[in-house]
Amino acid sequence: MLKKITVSCSPHISKHMSTRSIMIDVIIALAPAMLAACYYFRNRAVIILATCIVSALVTEWGCNRLQKKPNSLGDFSAVVTAIILALSLPPAIPFWVAIIGSVFAIAIGKMVFGGLGANVFNPAMVARAFLTASFGAMMTTFSVPAPIDLAMPKISAVNTTVVTQATPLAWSKQAVKKQNDISVVNEQLKATITGNVGGCLGETSTIALLIGGLYLLIRKTINYLIPFSVIASAVLFALIFYWIDPQIYMLPVMHLTTGGMLMCAFFIATDPVTAPLTNRGKAIFGVGIGAMIMLIRNVGEYPEGVMYAILLMNALSPLIDRLCKRVPQGGKPNA
Amino acid sequence: MDVDIKGKMTFRGGAHPPQNKKLTKDKPILPGPAVKQVAVMLSQHIGAPCKSMVQKNDIVAAGQRIGESDAYVSAAVHSPVNGKVKEIALRSHPVHGRSMAIVIDVDAETNAPEKPDLISSENVDLDRYSSEQICDVVSQAGLVGMGGAGFPTRVKIEPNPRLPKKVLIINGCECEPYITCDYRLMIERADQVITGIELAKKASGCERVFIGIEDNKPKAIEAMADMLKKTPARQNIKIVPLKTKYPQGGERQLIKAVLGKDIPTGAIPPMVGVVVLNVATASAITEAVISNKPLTHRVVTVTGQSIANPGNFYVPIGTSVGDMIEFCGGVTQKSAKVVMGGPMMGIAIADLETPITKTSGAITLLTKEQIGRAKYKSHKTACIHCGRCLDVCPEHLNPTVLAHAVRKNLFDVAQQYYISACMECGCCSYVCPANIELTGHIKTGKIYLARENKRMPK
Repeated sequence: MLKKITVSCSPHISKHMSTRSIMIDVIIALAPAMLAACYYFRNRAVIILATCIVSALVTEWGCNRLQKKPNSLGDFSAVVTAIILALSLPPAIPFWVAIIGSVFAIAIGKMVFGGLGANVFNPAMVARAFLTASFGAMMTTFSVPAPIDLAMPKISAVNTTVVTQATPLAWSKQAVKKQNDISVVNEQLKATITGNVGGCLGETSTIALLIGGLYLLIRKTINYLIPFSVIASAVLFALIFYWIDPQIYMLPVMHLTTGGMLMCAFFIATDPVTAPLTNRGKAIFGVGIGAMIMLIRNVGEYPEGVMYAILLMNALSPLIDRLCKRVPQGGKPNA
Repeated sequence: MDVDIKGKMTFRGGAHPPQNKKLTKDKPILPGPAVKQVAVMLSQHIGAPCKSMVQKNDIVAAGQRIGESDAYVSAAVHSPVNGKVKEIALRSHPVHGRSMAIVIDVDAETNAPEKPDLISSENVDLDRYSSEQICDVVSQAGLVGMGGAGFPTRVKIEPNPRLPKKVLIINGCECEPYITCDYRLMIERADQVITGIELAKKASGCERVFIGIEDNKPKAIEAMADMLKKTPARQNIKIVPLKTKYPQGGERQLIKAVLGKDIPTGAIPPMVGVVVLNVATASAITEAVISNKPLTHRVVTVTGQSIANPGNFYVPIGTSVGDMIEFCGGVTQKSAKVVMGGPMMGIAIADLETPITKTSGAITLLTKEQIGRAKYKSHKTACIHCGRCLDVCPEHLNPTVLAHAVRKNLFDVAQQYYISACMECGCCSYVCPANIELTGHIKTGKIYLARENKRMPK
């Protein structure tokens, strides 16, 4: 029974963890947000999630065939990308736009760079940026969740077949200036925490995202540094703006609960491939994202800043890594 | 018990591989097999290899010196048995691939496997020995660090006027999974180990002595503490329980945990006045100095789920791995790897004729299940830059960048990221979710660089 023994370098044991198990953890953590999306947006959410996942998997399979690479569907990273993309699409988007988005995410966002681990930008955000540039109107039209209690003013619909509503962020750009009533804020806050507002599929329910984020933190699937630094810096910058002029700028807590902020902090910015390696780098990366989001939201033209903040910091992350070189335990050698 | 068992002190980073020590931790040290042949390696240590002092067909006696070197950093080898030199030939070496060994046919009549007498400290008068005497005997006996690296003990403990030694740390961590040889030594031969510590203290001129033991070995801590309490002269030796974490027994990690001090990168502990000795080495010092017995035997743990009767054995150095496995009843299920040492830093061997050396503390047999299926098939996936290897690296390096640099032959980049500071503990490979052999890549890089700098033959 000792005829065939293997020789390899040490260590000879490994922790039972794989890329696939990490991705499955992320999918589990995204489940509450998916369920919330399905509850609030009913069959629209189901259709978009399903089309995104299926088309992402088919694209990955096709790219592997074209590039003559071994099949990589088993690592489930395409599913994670597809879910994140689907959850950051508006509910009223036609399904073919969702298909274009996921094909773009996998083919251009990931596979042309060489597949998982080689991409520079977060594939889901690349696709979302592409869709925003190509189908601007559709990407900013938000339909009303099914069980909604219309607490917020409607804006005119671009697409007349769906009842649309401004997202709290877009609304804030127009309306908060005039009525910064505390009761309105409370009403708004309640809606954003449960998710009963207009917005992208998975970004509306704060509570669902928090549950998923906590799951990832407890399981240590993600490094706590990125979510903490994103949230801390966003709150800090929101506070600065709020102190400057409370009549114009939203409360920091509203910034946290609206738009893609938490989605970004827990699921998008924490994508290990496009974030820096070192802990110091991760903190800088997170702070940068938080600051960029606040700048875009409060100063820029767009109501939402997550997507561009992520893409911009993704581009910087190799540089950040280079600047945050680790010093060995014993200090730098005096060579 | 006045020692707080719960260890608080530790180092940064590290991993928690499953311990699996219960297989052998309650097995007392027994005499090893009656072997027919031993192969004594001429190089069992760091430093210059020995030259053979015997020829083919020479008759050798147990304890006779059969190999030595003129170099300062080297250690003599001795015959563990009475017998006849069969040949001086190449044998598989756990570390060096193949190297020269003196193969001795054992004279069966005059050799019975025995358990040596326990050396008690009662009749030992430490004042009889001077520092030079102890260093001399240690050198004559061919003592090397028995924890794994095999650095000649004499070089470690000899006083050096330029770098005075202040602190002696005894390494009883045994952080590698499976291995229990040091644990059993501390329980069964606490007195002998402590006598060795006192001798080493005297030889090196250290003022303070600490014994670092991981807190998953409460019995060993207790046994050592009880023994220390009996003699007033031993009160200045302190036991330091440490957190159970791999690689707590690494020299630099141990010093960090016990003294809170970092050894500068590229330096060795004597440069900051610290000497680290393994408990097995301490025990061997006693044997050498008190009983005048050279280092010819050592305690080896033979373990693994697939071995019939795992245990701890006192065996002659040069016994082959195959003999040990057979002695332990052979294997009960299919084993995938035979490892000299523990599963984290041990070396998988291909040849069961490989002899036990002064530094091999264990023979670990691993089945496919223990290795893990993905690792067994070396099923690698792409690096996702998750940074887990950075979190566990006890030397605070960047294994991701190092491994990628070596793979792309960018050795200058590897050097910029301090590749030489890596101590190859294996934590990065252990935690890698993509199953990348980071430690293997880094080892390769270090060898390439050593060759480039002409420090190593091709």
